Amino acid sequence: MSADARVCVLDYGSGNVKSVANLLEYLRVEHVVSNSESAIGDATHLVLPGVGAFGAAMQMIRHNIPLPAVDAAVHVEHKPFLGICVGMQVLAESGDEFGVHEGLGWIPGSVRRFRDHGLPVPHMGWNEVSATNAPGLLGEHRTLDFYFLHSFLFEAANPANVAAVTTYGETFPSIIRRDNVVGVQFHPEKSQKAGMLLLENFLRL
Amino acid sequence: MKKRRLIPVVLLRNGWLVQSIQFSRYLNLGNPVWTVRRLSEWASDELIYLDITSDDQYDLRREDLGAPNRRTFLEIIGDVSKVTFMPMTVGGKIRTLDDIQVRLSLGADKISINTMAFDDPTFIGRAAAQFGSQCIVVSIDYKEVGGAPRVMVQGGRRDTGLDPVAWARTVEERGAGEILLNSIDRDGMKSGYDIDTIARVCEAVRIPVIAQGGVGRWEHFEEALSRTSVDAVAAANIFQHTDQSVYYAKQHLMEAHHNVREPGLISL
Amino acid sequence: MQYCRRCVYPILAVNLHMDAEGICSACRVAEQFDHLTDEFWDARKRVFEETIAKIMKKGRGDYDCLIPVSGGKDSYYQTHKMVIEYGLKPLLVTYHGNNYLPEGDYNRDRMRQLFDADHLVFGPSVAVLKKLNRLCFRKMGDMNWHAHCGIVSYPIIVAVKFQIPLIIWGETSWDISGMYAPNDLVEFSARVRHEHDLRGFEWYDMLNDPQEPLTEKDLSWAKYPSDEEIIRVGVRGLYIGNFFRWDPNRQTAMIRERYGWKAAETPFERTYRCISNLDDRYENGVHDLLKFVKFGYGRASDHASKDIRTDYMTREQGIDMVRRYDHVVSKDLAHWLEYVDMSEADFWKTADRFRDKRVWRIEDGQWVKENIWGGASAYGPVRL
Repeated sequence: MSADARVCVLDYGSGNVKSVANLLEYLRVEHVVSNSESAIGDATHLVLPGVGAFGAAMQMIRHNIPLPAVDAAVHVEHKPFLGICVGMQVLAESGDEFGVHEGLGWIPGSVRRFRDHGLPVPHMGWNEVSATNAPGLLGEHRTLDFYFLHSFLFEAANPANVAAVTTYGETFPSIIRRDNVVGVQFHPEKSQKAGMLLLENFLRL
Repeated sequence: MKKRRLIPVVLLRNGWLVQSIQFSRYLNLGNPVWTVRRLSEWASDELIYLDITSDDQYDLRREDLGAPNRRTFLEIIGDVSKVTFMPMTVGGKIRTLDDIQVRLSLGADKISINTMAFDDPTFIGRAAAQFGSQCIVVSIDYKEVGGAPRVMVQGGRRDTGLDPVAWARTVEERGAGEILLNSIDRDGMKSGYDIDTIARVCEAVRIPVIAQGGVGRWEHFEEALSRTSVDAVAAANIFQHTDQSVYYAKQHLMEAHHNVREPGLISL
Repeated sequence: MQYCRRCVYPILAVNLHMDAEGICSACRVAEQFDHLTDEFWDARKRVFEETIAKIMKKGRGDYDCLIPVSGGKDSYYQTHKMVIEYGLKPLLVTYHGNNYLPEGDYNRDRMRQLFDADHLVFGPSVAVLKKLNRLCFRKMGDMNWHAHCGIVSYPIIVAVKFQIPLIIWGETSWDISGMYAPNDLVEFSARVRHEHDLRGFEWYDMLNDPQEPLTEKDLSWAKYPSDEEIIRVGVRGLYIGNFFRWDPNRQTAMIRERYGWKAAETPFERTYRCISNLDDRYENGVHDLLKFVKFGYGRASDHASKDIRTDYMTREQGIDMVRRYDHVVSKDLAHWLEYVDMSEADFWKTADRFRDKRVWRIEDGQWVKENIWGGASAYGPVRL
């Protein structure tokens, strides 16, 4: 299981990298925080944490992370990749936070703001994540609570890429997946037992 | 369904974990890191960690303890983030965007700003643009002055002349993602929240509001949850009085059928 | 060095806070306790009765409560209250650190004769104790860590094992520093145990020392139960001092008269009181000497400060006690050195490593510090 995993946590400069590293440390998973091509090449799994705005994140990702190396690791070597929060949103083709920005385009879809449902935005707090298929990343659980902190959501173009949904005024994908590429809108590194479970299942991929 | 949150607040003063009474009296409780470990072990929903030190003297005054005597706030936060397994808001003495960046990179998920939000009208906007609104909490401390609630800054020492409801609307417009509303008069008094002001602020804004100030019994949390639309209820002192406090508070709220996470335990 | 203007505590006393008027937090909290009315205590008594009823309901039924006792004055008072006033059947639990004075043995062993209570006395292996004495002296300048640990670990372990949810403690020990106020209604907690009783160390910090090899099995009595176990049994530790006005001098008079409780026959050298710490000969002696070596104040300062706060002593008298007793190198040092097979030279070499720079300076090969009565004095040669 995780005993053989070697995780490379990518750090584009505005990510919640330390918390992810702390959790991997607690789970006793070998990991490194690095953007180097050798670390990416050496890893068995890649994680991209992210907080902040879509456009700013994409700019910093392009500036700090060797995308060709990551692309090769993900799409040629098929290493499992986990994008967290903004790290999931950048998987889209485009996002419209503070203007229209181009994403990585690894999972078809776009990112937009929550519609006005009369509920406070950002979506902040613990909410239910319901798996569309089980078993999946939630193990044998159909629904688990995770911590969310976002004002924008991912609109998946292909429903097959939606692995779990959450409802907050509207129902949106909380876990997206396309083969070895996984995105979670919530923060597993802040979601205590549920987060640990999800990470352990991701590391089994 | 999204749950409402129960949030412990940890106050740091000159390196000590403290209890606070009306922003004017402080009781030293001890190490500012170990308590966070306990709060994590009780699966707290979130943590708010506030530095209320007015100078830069951080000193536990002895070097013979099991935990190191940290002399800077950033070192303390570094230690804290290693034992925090829930989202953490860090606040206190935030003056520049760099202050925010440093704390985020040390493990904070959100930053709370107070005095600076008032002194520099562009600060909230600039912070939200760089880090995202969801990262920016504006903390509003208020107390009764001449019969009306007034927003105070600088640890309750400077009167802004503003009404908390009006100020809440302003900070929302400027891009704050969340409001931490704290009653100075009720701080440490254990007589319950200021339900009236909390309700009015919640009605005035669309961003989440956290209530703080005055909890002496678990029933006080219930009052705020039942009588206002507040998104989260917070308290500092009470969680330091009994063991497994957060666990039992959650159990109490769950048994009273409030929309909260069920109690849980994590072994660290 | 800043001293409280009311008692004799220096700012370095554990967890102390001095306010803008120069009064320490312990004095301020004592003030609050002083002003508590009879009505307050009547209401508290009712809260006590409701609370213990609620806690005891979860019990399995063997014992109504567990009382950690050393055989000291507080132990007698707590047991008297629960057995005589409340008619409960407690299990008394003692941690025996192998340091009892003869008067302490006498008082301890009479408890099950005097009170209708079963009494469990537990002592770790003496070989383990000697190792911990030496190891903790070296590691943190406190040879009595084992006792601080045992007292706040073993009774709770027993409470979980025997499924006794209610634990009755005595004095609200934090009022020594003014950590909590009367309305905080504090209960025993793992955090306070870890930080204050154990000073941030745990049993796992005592393993793998090359000079004092200890295994996990040597320390099973030091392992605090998990939250899960505590919640399952419903264990809660209440402090009698939160519910009934605490007056140690009156309480001691009562237990001496009613139960023949014995005070120390030989006066202690480092304090004027003879009613404290009969369960551990070093607690007022060499253990407390180390507090003086580190922070420049000792047990006499603690006792005088308490007595000043309860109006048994004036500040001038308190300062006089400090002058006479705080610095004394008591004879039990020789006793301890023989117990753990250490030379006096080695003792001082290690002890001197813990001198706090905020208190001590070196002048002409002597340790010098300021005195509360003014000026500075030398307190012994530097032996680092």
